[in-house]
Amino acid sequence: MIPVLRTEKLCKSFSNGGTQQHVIKNLDLEIMDGDFTVIMGASGSGKSTLLYALSGMDKPTLGKIYFGDKEIQGYSNDQLAVFRRGNCGFVFQSIYLLENQTVLDNVLTGAFAVQKNSPELIKRTKDTLARLGLDEEMQKKYPNQLSGGEAQRVGIVRAIINEPKILFADEPTGSLNSATGKEVLDIFTQVHENGQSIVMVTHDIKTALRGTRVIYLRDGSVVGEHRMPKYGGDDLKERRNELTAFLDEMGW
Amino acid sequence: MKIFRLSLFNLKKNKREAAAILFLTLVSAFLLGTFLSSVTNIPKVFGKCFAETGCRDYMIMVEADKYRDVYSDILTEDYSISEVQRGKALWALEAQYDKNGENRSTNMTFVTESTEYAFEDFVKDETLSDDEIAKLIHPIYLPEYFKIADGFKAGDTFTLTAGGMDYPFEIAGFYKCGLLAESGIGRKCVISDYDYMLLTSVYPEYELMIFDQSDSFDYSEYTDKCSKKSSENFAKACQYRNVEDAKTNEIYSIEMYLYISVFFSAVTFAAVFFLIAHKIKKDIEDQMQQIGVLEALGYTSKEISLSYVCEYVLSGGVGAVLGGICAVLFNPVMNSICTSMIYRHYDVSPNYLRIIVAVLIVAVLVTAFAAFKAGRIRKIPPVTAFRKGIQTHHFGRNVFPLEGLKKSVNLRLALKGIFTDLSGSIGTAICIILAGTAFMFAFFTYDFFSKDDAMLKVVGMEVPDESVTLMNGVDTDKFREELLALPEVRKVNLTCGYSSWMYVKGSDEPGTAFGYEDYSETENIFVKEGRLPEYENEVAISLGRADRENRHVGDSLIMLGDGGEKSYIITGIVPAMSNSRMNMYFTTDGFIRMNPNARPDMAEIYLKEGTDRKAFEKKLTALYGANAKDTAFGSSADGTLEERIRAVADEKMAVLISRYGITDVDYAIKIGDTVIKGNSSKFVIKEMSPMAEMFADEMGTVGEVAKTFCGAAMIFVGVIVAVILSIISAGTVKRQRKELGIMKSMGYTSKDLMMQIAMRILPTAVLSSVIAVFCAIFVQRAFWLAMFGIQIAESLPLMIISAAVLVVFCLMVSYISARRIKKISVTELVTE
Repeated sequence: MIPVLRTEKLCKSFSNGGTQQHVIKNLDLEIMDGDFTVIMGASGSGKSTLLYALSGMDKPTLGKIYFGDKEIQGYSNDQLAVFRRGNCGFVFQSIYLLENQTVLDNVLTGAFAVQKNSPELIKRTKDTLARLGLDEEMQKKYPNQLSGGEAQRVGIVRAIINEPKILFADEPTGSLNSATGKEVLDIFTQVHENGQSIVMVTHDIKTALRGTRVIYLRDGSVVGEHRMPKYGGDDLKERRNELTAFLDEMGW
Repeated sequence: MKIFRLSLFNLKKNKREAAAILFLTLVSAFLLGTFLSSVTNIPKVFGKCFAETGCRDYMIMVEADKYRDVYSDILTEDYSISEVQRGKALWALEAQYDKNGENRSTNMTFVTESTEYAFEDFVKDETLSDDEIAKLIHPIYLPEYFKIADGFKAGDTFTLTAGGMDYPFEIAGFYKCGLLAESGIGRKCVISDYDYMLLTSVYPEYELMIFDQSDSFDYSEYTDKCSKKSSENFAKACQYRNVEDAKTNEIYSIEMYLYISVFFSAVTFAAVFFLIAHKIKKDIEDQMQQIGVLEALGYTSKEISLSYVCEYVLSGGVGAVLGGICAVLFNPVMNSICTSMIYRHYDVSPNYLRIIVAVLIVAVLVTAFAAFKAGRIRKIPPVTAFRKGIQTHHFGRNVFPLEGLKKSVNLRLALKGIFTDLSGSIGTAICIILAGTAFMFAFFTYDFFSKDDAMLKVVGMEVPDESVTLMNGVDTDKFREELLALPEVRKVNLTCGYSSWMYVKGSDEPGTAFGYEDYSETENIFVKEGRLPEYENEVAISLGRADRENRHVGDSLIMLGDGGEKSYIITGIVPAMSNSRMNMYFTTDGFIRMNPNARPDMAEIYLKEGTDRKAFEKKLTALYGANAKDTAFGSSADGTLEERIRAVADEKMAVLISRYGITDVDYAIKIGDTVIKGNSSKFVIKEMSPMAEMFADEMGTVGEVAKTFCGAAMIFVGVIVAVILSIISAGTVKRQRKELGIMKSMGYTSKDLMMQIAMRILPTAVLSSVIAVFCAIFVQRAFWLAMFGIQIAESLPLMIISAAVLVVFCLMVSYISARRIKKISVTELVTE
């Protein structure tokens, strides 16, 4: 597999009351094309910080990030924004839909950051929404008229509508109940099956089971890695046991 | 206590908005305080200035050779005026004097000390010592004008220039002048009896009647009585002045600027109201859950809304008090401005009571408005508050759906943003309209005064490069043809002289009458309505007269002239700010119909561009001989005895012609067996005056003052607009931080988002600017008509440019103020 994203000696630190807090330390990591990478770790281990550094949402303190063959750590904020719009999709725990825009407009706001308006784009957007259970009527609704699961589905469509090279997700089921969370995870699995590279942060084993590679972080460093076949292609119970064993080994 | 703390918390949280409200209330209170304090002080001080001088109330000035004792008798007998003071004065129209090598001109009158005492108490202000004065050969006491406007000091030399000769005086000091302190008739100077005698050969002499009268004095009635009893045209020979008119004329411009200041205060106040409304609404939306918690804890809506009111009592109240303090501190500057505008020593203490009233008005209005807007909290029950109110729920129509996007997504998203805060957009529009109107009014006025020929177009009279009054008997048409043959001359118009007032039946306002053969040849006389006269029974009148006397095109106008009462039909209305704005325009025949002895004896000469006027004047002298007025000042030439005798004879004839209206003179002088003969036919030109130069001198200062005021007003309004828009823009960024962060995560750059914020203001700015243009036109028309009796033409390109400037300015301010977007970090947003 070809690495789509690579880091070299990546460091990220924050100043906290005059004290430097090193959240990511000299991290070398490769994200492979087509992989569903899950980042796990205890609270404060640097999962989200790593995710935002990898996705160009935040700048690293030191080290390098290669996206394909391009170094992005030196980009200005606006260059990073342009980079994100062409290469990355985001799904957030808090969903973050634009409250004054309809479902359709929420997705199109993301789409038009990259693509020009065309009947094909509108059709594809509506079809994608419909495929995820958001029909024409639902597409006219505003975020505060949606349930959590419906809103997160809109968030996912918004994230994938530009066909990003990598889809980043930060605890996408964190604010959902288990049934709704499962629906959302099914969508992720479906998207991954279509060849989408995904990097997801979670602390939930059920969620992590959907990945093909689990990276475990401790104190800002990768301390272990566990590979799995694609979800659904093996025995779920055995998959869970193996992952649990890995996590136990990591001190989860 | 909790309420007060919430207020302090809000103030701390929204420092910029609080600072803006403080600044704007400060400006409002300052302008209002200055206005209220000054508007009463100025007339009061002006009255005090007059009272200090001991000046009589009324003055009538009659040409010396046309004065009859019966005029004074009428005052005593018919008007029971017991004490009519008498005196004499020399009247110098456009007298030229030297100021540090610079030639300046103004109307002046010269009186002796005894006449001055008949006028007033001759209160000296700043003088040399008695010993120093005693040593002066040509002492002169000047009114304060020359000290304030020209910077003369006691002991300086004051040189009058007339007919190419210098008359140097030594300034003995300055004095407080009552009547005749302004340029209308002339600034009164007190000179010695000897110098007065000397100047009688230079300037025409007038008899003065000066008196007090407690009741108002009817000039029109008095003029009628004088004309009837003397059987002469008294109106043509006299000039009037009284204290009330002087007050009106002299404080006119200050009051005008004060009223404009009130307009700006109102604009600022509107901005304050808008900001308060905007901020309270947004604060309530932001703090909805907190309000719910307080309500749930048992705080009443009234108590909670009091926290908002308290916030504005603090910011607005402090601003109003500071504004009041500024108004007090500004008082010395105001004194100095008034001094430089009325040319009288103006020194008064601020009117503290009125400034306090201004502060209270501002503070109370701000508090009342804040209380009114904060009352909205009462409509929000706790449950609604917990749900962040109903405002955030959107069940309405999707405005500007992205599905229909054609071009820029930034523009489309900006348009959607407008409808999320429609009431805010309306408030912004009102602010831009008000501020834009003020800005454009100042812009149009500035532009008007920036043009060299601006004043010429509204002066309502011709301003030729050289105005030549011809001697009686000169063939004016032939003279005109000869002038036109000169290479320097572009055009020559012949007109009847217009130095005297003409009276209209039924009107208290005399006016200047003009007579031209063909108005298509004039360059500065335009009609606003109707047409200029073409026949002898037609007249056009100035806009000021039409407006004041409610006269219209098609009405009749009866003139009281030498030829008795003559009726004319009004054919047109002419914008004119010259000669008290009460002009009348006739054809030459129409003018002669009213004054049978008149004839077109004045040649108005327009020179080609680049012509040296002084060289041209010398050429005229070489061609036609010196003019009578200059010859009257001249000293006898050198040469043979006969040449010297002829020179003296010429001088004597010139004095008779230029000063006493004698039309033809013959002389014969016998010396031994020789008889030297001559006559006045050698004089062709009676008088020459450089009208355009004098006009530029007089109007240059007015233009500069107006331009400075308008420039300052434009900057002031620009600051107000900038403050409002930056607060709106920065507030939008602050309140929509989450949405903007989401947009950033989607790949929208900070520039995209700043552009969206700026674009949100675009439709409002465009619409408001267009409305502001029309409002500015309306305000400008009303202003110029009320102030100067004229209307200035609006320029379409200027209107478009000014609207475009305002729109671009609004966009730029919004764009720059939204730069805080750059500080929004997606990471911080999602991890908070």
